Amino acid sequence: MIATLDSNRRWRRAFLIVGGIIAAYALLAPLTSLDAAVSANVPLLADRLWFRIATYIAMFIVMATGWNIIGGITGYAAFGNVAFFGIGAYTTGMLIAKAKWPFLAALPFAPVVAALFAALVGLPLLRLRGHYFAVASLGVGVAVGELVQNIDYGGQPLFGGASGLFLPIDSIANRGLFFFYLMVAAAAISIAVTWWVLRSRFGYGLIAIRENEEAAAVLGVNTTAYKVAAFALAAALTGLAGGIFSQWNVFINQDNAFPIEYNVQMILMALLGGTGTVFGPAAGAILLQLLIQFLGGTLPISFDLPFVSETARPIVAQIILGLLLVGVVIFVPRGVIDFFGGRSRLSLSYLRRSLRETSL
Amino acid sequence: MANFVQLVILGLLAGGVYVAVGVGFGLVWGVLNIVNLAHGGLVIVGGYITWQLFTALHLDPFLTLPVNAVALFVLGYALQRGVINRIIRAPLLFTFLLTFGLNLVIINILLLIFGSDFRSVTPTYSGQGLEFGSVVIPYVSLTSLGAALLLAAALAFILNRTRIGLAINAIAADRDAAQLVGIDLRHAYAVTFGLGAACAGVAGGLIAMIQAITPTAGEPYTLQAFVVVILGGLGRVSATVVGGLAFGLVEAFGQSIPGSGSVFANAIAFGLMVLVLVTRPQGLMGRLR
Amino acid sequence: MNESSSPHRPLQADLPLAGEVKPQLELLGVTKRFGGVAAVDGVNLRVGKGEILGIIGPNGAGKTTLLNCISGVFRLDGGDIRWEGASIAGMAPHRVARLGIGRTFQIVRPFGSMTARENAAIGALFGSSDARKGPKEAFEIADQVLELVGLKAKAGRPVAALTIPDRKRLEVARAVATRPHLLLLDEVMAGLNNVEIDEALDMVRTVHATGVTVLLIEHVMRVIVGICDRAIVLESGRVLAEGEPEVVLRDERVIQAYLGERYAKRLRASGDEDGTN
Ligand SMILES: Nc1ncnc2c1ncn2[C@@H]1O[C@H](COP(=O)(O)OP(=O)(O)O)[C@@H](O)[C@H]1O
Ligand SMILES: [Mg+2]
Repeated sequence: MIATLDSNRRWRRAFLIVGGIIAAYALLAPLTSLDAAVSANVPLLADRLWFRIATYIAMFIVMATGWNIIGGITGYAAFGNVAFFGIGAYTTGMLIAKAKWPFLAALPFAPVVAALFAALVGLPLLRLRGHYFAVASLGVGVAVGELVQNIDYGGQPLFGGASGLFLPIDSIANRGLFFFYLMVAAAAISIAVTWWVLRSRFGYGLIAIRENEEAAAVLGVNTTAYKVAAFALAAALTGLAGGIFSQWNVFINQDNAFPIEYNVQMILMALLGGTGTVFGPAAGAILLQLLIQFLGGTLPISFDLPFVSETARPIVAQIILGLLLVGVVIFVPRGVIDFFGGRSRLSLSYLRRSLRETSL
Repeated sequence: MANFVQLVILGLLAGGVYVAVGVGFGLVWGVLNIVNLAHGGLVIVGGYITWQLFTALHLDPFLTLPVNAVALFVLGYALQRGVINRIIRAPLLFTFLLTFGLNLVIINILLLIFGSDFRSVTPTYSGQGLEFGSVVIPYVSLTSLGAALLLAAALAFILNRTRIGLAINAIAADRDAAQLVGIDLRHAYAVTFGLGAACAGVAGGLIAMIQAITPTAGEPYTLQAFVVVILGGLGRVSATVVGGLAFGLVEAFGQSIPGSGSVFANAIAFGLMVLVLVTRPQGLMGRLR
Repeated sequence: MNESSSPHRPLQADLPLAGEVKPQLELLGVTKRFGGVAAVDGVNLRVGKGEILGIIGPNGAGKTTLLNCISGVFRLDGGDIRWEGASIAGMAPHRVARLGIGRTFQIVRPFGSMTARENAAIGALFGSSDARKGPKEAFEIADQVLELVGLKAKAGRPVAALTIPDRKRLEVARAVATRPHLLLLDEVMAGLNNVEIDEALDMVRTVHATGVTVLLIEHVMRVIVGICDRAIVLESGRVLAEGEPEVVLRDERVIQAYLGERYAKRLRASGDEDGTN
């Protein structure tokens, strides 16, 4: 017992140190791309590719952390949160492209519209439980993307249709750096919100709902209002990421604003890092996104797959990802953070115990 | 009027495929409590087997269906025994992610083998049909509907008349009690998933005859299978048959609405699902349990 | 829905009520059906403020269902429920809880990932609306309540590390932490040994002494006789008998019809033991 506590603390400290170093590097490296630094001959630590990957990672931190509020803390397995990402992207995109609003004026509407939409569909959806909720929310994700692409108004596609929506190119100085820091700010907000939720009366109510909804209700938790609020909060954060994405990417369509695979990726990230925790989803997002980029061959450190042609490579990467998903679910169901540091130690017996707990 | 009759007939014929897709999905869901996101992947594996046998050996596509069933049964049995049984007691999120991962693996292996080209199965009689005045009934659809109903009947027979079927029913009713009377859970679960996969394989064969397939063409069928099962009510093969035919009708009439076309297929399916879930959670045919 | 100034004259207006004449809780023809079968069938009941009322009846009589109706978990198929004169039929469970009606579940439903202390704190955080607290005070209340039910030493343990009797205590602690005016207890003493039952009885007396009305479902006759002011017998969803516990339990109809002849003999014997204590 004591030993576990000690090792627990040691792991926690190691985790904080590693996390601190990564955060410091991620926050400071972009500065080397500024003109002042370049002219002072500071080595360039962040090129275009760096910004692209790092901004994606921050974006997934927002989505995984947002999903955690409804999926991890409240226990409702939402499988369609990409709808909120897309709605955020299209809200900001439409305001900029059609109403000619400036980006920063349009951005706040992304989380607001996404949250309103979540509250609206959440009222019927959150009456469902278990599989029913999961698949119904998956349906929302699919259906919203389809509607956005196909809705016509006066004979014209309302949201740009199948050819997508082009935003005017902005004239933001140090573009890569700007959107990176903006996405990091969104990630910080989502982590701070989670931290607050877990300490608040609201958060206790959500956890009570997750553990036993009926018991929570008879103890006075307004379960409907709480669930809808959690869903809307998750949607707001995810929508914020979408809103930033739309101007960052300048072009949005059904494929990049409503990618079905994001639904599962954000869940897998939360699961990898540990659901229901403050930093877990963020850690999982960094790990999984780096892995996806690595397998896809976009990272500077690359590798050759034996017997695999260049064209087959993305396919093999997907297979590896699928096998990884299967492996994580079977062997480390409580997340890698728990696997490495939590209540137990990194060991074969941990894997065996995980198996015993869930298998026949 | 003829138009209405045509729509009803088309809907029921299309419903055959949904019956085939739904029964296996419903069986796995009802007994194993798993919403199998790899169902669409298994369906399309069946589609490729039919395509391969048809193009390489010139077999009649309907004759390939038993091959699909056997092959997919073996695959399903192995998947359940080797992988899914290991997390059968985990929360639903895990079974979701696991089956999603399996789907990803299946689809991408198919992509490696067959590429992403469209493949279609066109026997000599495709495009022909029975004509009653202005109403046309394509042979392929008619035979597909027959095959789907036969499949459902065979599944119902296995579940209600055979030893293993009764064991599966016992497990669905009460897992612990079933174990106490000596049922080998691992085997029975694997057989259940195998049967579900076999149904998916047959459905895939039927689908390959009515549309060109790619490795990802099975995706929409997972969501649709879910809607079909909900529509009919979880727990009985006959209810899924009704759900599948009803879904075919809804789709036929939905697509006939001018302007909407087929682009809103998912939105219609989803809207219908939420409507049924919220107003009649036990399904059209189900009893409240 | 509307609150009439003259309270309904119920069928059993002549029955004794401990305490005041005006009932705190009043059930009027409460009916709940499951697929055509009435699990609760036109139950009329008045509970006076400060009373301890026992409900007994064979398994499947509808006792738990009746509790679910009162606490808003089930929607009524007929009849009305009044709390302090105003109808609460159709009210959501959390609103019923905030009015001051706390309950336990016969099959315990702890919040599995939480410690005993956190479980109890949920009750204090959300319960009775006139006494709601923030997280900090909620934990203080949780500690007091855990001490009351005898779980103080195990406050920091996760639910998984609690025995079944302890989980039953936790179930009570959580309900008491909501600071209810009326506490509904569903077989919280089933499965306890004699010593534990005595402890539980003390616990109920302590809670009752703070002014809480108690409605408890029990199979253990010693509990009904030892603590209740009044008892009702439920069978097939209907009230079969009502009155002082000793009288009700000796009612030949009750004994014959529900408890069976052999059980009845044992019961008489144990009742006599109680008398001699
Ligand atoms: N949720 C439910 N759905 C269907 N039937 C129920 C439900 N709850 C209780 N019943 C039925 O109502 C009757 C009364 O049950 P219950 O109130 O639990 O009895 P008791 O608590 O007196 O043992 C039983 O026949 C039981 O099967
Ligand atoms: Mg009961």
